[in-house]
Amino acid sequence: MLKHKLSWYRGWVPYVMLIPTVIGLLIFRLGPLLGSLAISFTDLNMLTPATFVGLANYKEMFQNPSFIQTAENTFLFSLVYVVGVMVLGLGLALVLNRKAKGIGFFRAAFYSPVVTSAVAVGIVWSWILSPRLGILNQLLSALGLNEVYWLGDPKLALYVVAIIQVWKMSGYYMILFLAGLKDIPDTIQEAAIVDGANGRQRFFRVTLPLLSPTTFFVLNVAIIDSFKNFELIYAMTKGGPQNATNTLVYDIYINGFIHFRLGYASAVSYFLLACVAVITIINFIFKKRWVKHQY
Amino acid sequence: MGKAPVLKDGTAMKRIRTIIFYAVLAVDGIITLFPFLWMLLNSFNSEGNIFSVPSKLIPDLLGTNHMFDNYLTIFKEFHWGRYTLNSFIVAGLSALGQVLTSSLAGFAFATMRFRGKNVIFSLLLGTMMVPVQSTIIPEFLIMMKLGWLDSYLPMIVPSALVGSFGTFLFKEYYENVPPAYIDASSIDGAGPFKIYSKVYLPMSSSQIATLLIISFMNSWNDLLRPILYVSSDKWQTVTQALTQFQSQYSAKWNLILTGSVLSVLPILMLYIFMQNYIIESSVSSGVKG
Repeated sequence: MLKHKLSWYRGWVPYVMLIPTVIGLLIFRLGPLLGSLAISFTDLNMLTPATFVGLANYKEMFQNPSFIQTAENTFLFSLVYVVGVMVLGLGLALVLNRKAKGIGFFRAAFYSPVVTSAVAVGIVWSWILSPRLGILNQLLSALGLNEVYWLGDPKLALYVVAIIQVWKMSGYYMILFLAGLKDIPDTIQEAAIVDGANGRQRFFRVTLPLLSPTTFFVLNVAIIDSFKNFELIYAMTKGGPQNATNTLVYDIYINGFIHFRLGYASAVSYFLLACVAVITIINFIFKKRWVKHQY
Repeated sequence: MGKAPVLKDGTAMKRIRTIIFYAVLAVDGIITLFPFLWMLLNSFNSEGNIFSVPSKLIPDLLGTNHMFDNYLTIFKEFHWGRYTLNSFIVAGLSALGQVLTSSLAGFAFATMRFRGKNVIFSLLLGTMMVPVQSTIIPEFLIMMKLGWLDSYLPMIVPSALVGSFGTFLFKEYYENVPPAYIDASSIDGAGPFKIYSKVYLPMSSSQIATLLIISFMNSWNDLLRPILYVSSDKWQTVTQALTQFQSQYSAKWNLILTGSVLSVLPILMLYIFMQNYIIESSVSSGVKG
């Protein structure tokens, strides 16, 4: 801890300095967090006065087949996203973790979709993937293959949107893995070479175990991040076709602000919150099992 | 994996590896950059040409007098200048506000002891994980009660008042500043607010730059708050205007793609000049750009 003479500030000073932060925290974070919970037990809809309905919204949610589908879509999206960005992020990091000409350029290029707005990303990919006019389908036709309705086919659309999100965000995970790889001391790799370990052995026996704290951190970030797909879905599919790409965050928007069912939407938002919380807790429990700290 | 066992490889082997290495990079690079290029190229297509099948790789307006027709149309007929100004105001003020409030909070957390410090800090970090959709409904009702709908305020105030990442960033940095600075300044008669503004804040210029850029980009790219809080044309940001444009003129792909180019251009320029700040910041945080 810092050792300070208490005399350089008066007791109220830190509280004054924290006024904006605490006001923001109370009004825009903690208040709404409790507010959502309260609203989820009502039938608030902006037209008629709200009445208390107990668990009715939650009951409706779990009995509604389209909500079940939405929840499944969300988890499937998350799975594709987490696996995609972890594998591609680590892959790109391994390729770029060396000194060679042009590395800086490629690092910057791979990161560029991360800073680009999801809306613009969604729009340009919709154009690339569109039937007949899209360059991808034209390429398929030129190769003598059938056109694919990338965003129009309910069986395919969710995977396509998830993969676009992977395309957008892989560069971010690449940077996180690169930082982890840089932390592994060269001496350990050199010792493994001296001991006669080949490339694959060094990767699985040295790099991967020593990278595990990074991998754990990245996994956490990726899972939390995987739920944030509102912008891309809004720009690409609006939850369609036939609810096929509707996810929890998009469903909250639709129910809350298109159908004005604020009570029901709040119940969905608490389900989302519970998912994020449970996954984070599970992750921390399993952390001990596979994260190696010693180096 | 960078250190291939050099002794075993001959020069020919080494050359092949280099070629494979750059081939992999080139393919990845094309997959990453092609959509940007395709967006840019198609913004120079006329309305007729953009629908030609097979697609023309070279747009028809490129190099002619009418090269910037789509850009002129979007500025003249669709108020793109206004949207851009709105985005700059919203993103700029959010970023400035966040730097002020987070540096002040970070300073208090790093240098002072007070009751409730740990509680406030944990709440600040804990709520970072909460998806914005989980709090947006009460937030909307608050904005409505405050009469802030259809103005800049609801897009600026929540992010300007409280920033978890920013506070964390400044706290980490200020904790490593030797306490001697405080002792020396307070002997000279400087109060805590002066020590913050004249000693600590100027020291943390790189944290200020990082946070300014990150929160500017986040506000610029945000969609949810603008579409909920703003309905009239006057206050729309470019990101929001782009989605409106897309649904209203779904057939005018040349203009939609021109709008996309214009909406990402300021951020990509910022990225090109400040990429080190941006990339480094993603390592120190769990916050994406």
